[in-house]
Amino acid sequence: MGIPRAFRISGVLLVLGLCTEAISLRWVHPLAFIAFFVIGGAFLAAGVLLFLYSLVGMRPARDTHDSGGN
Amino acid sequence: MPSPLALLYGLLGITIVLLVLILARPSITVSIGGKILAFLAFCALPVLCGVWGLSEHFERSKQTSFCLSCHIMGSYGRSLYVDDMNHIPAAHFQNHRIPADEACYTCHTDYAMYGTIGVKLHGLRHVYVQYLGTAMNPIHLYEPFNNRECLHCHEGARSFEDDTHTPMMDMLKSNQLSCISSGCHDTVHNIDALGKFKQWSPAN
Repeated sequence: MGIPRAFRISGVLLVLGLCTEAISLRWVHPLAFIAFFVIGGAFLAAGVLLFLYSLVGMRPARDTHDSGGN
Repeated sequence: MPSPLALLYGLLGITIVLLVLILARPSITVSIGGKILAFLAFCALPVLCGVWGLSEHFERSKQTSFCLSCHIMGSYGRSLYVDDMNHIPAAHFQNHRIPADEACYTCHTDYAMYGTIGVKLHGLRHVYVQYLGTAMNPIHLYEPFNNRECLHCHEGARSFEDDTHTPMMDMLKSNQLSCISSGCHDTVHNIDALGKFKQWSPAN
């Protein structure tokens, strides 16, 4: 079974966002906060939104069976 | 009990492992349990990690070392070590009347990230001018120092509510009379005269 492309991209964005967050937490510094908020936040928001968008756009599995049966 | 930071790192690790697992083995999302797992890994846990991380960063930005990490704040940090108890910030910092590791935030509770949206934007602007722009020289508060910062500790204290302060309490509470700029306790971060004073060195 393959995985939809949007899910893959979403997963990669989320992993990047979480890694950015983990790295930024190593320092007590304004730039660490900015890195977390701007870079990590953008990756996380994009990843979650892409995942939710792909869920909405996903065709239900039974459609395939119905059209095949008729 | 692990620290909150260790728990956050643990949650980050679990979320990353789940994401990688689902990306590597997408077949596990076929079952209802797999779908719930995918929702947790792709949505619920990342949001939780983001909110928790933001809270952690906000807590860290209260630390004295966070404020002093900007070059322009260096002299203000040194003013906390002036060996002269007439300097109000130094007296409070050295005698632990305020938490030494949150010294700046304790007396500037509405500064940088701690206040309205406008104040938060000021905080972001500080980062911008630190690295890409030119900071104002000398730096100054955006608004006059609020007596509230003094009163949230001193109000109600026996040593404070004496014959000197009690008659003027209403004026202090309404900021008509400033604690630090009305001639009473007016030696604060006197950075221009910093070189004239000996620096206190905490004993190890």
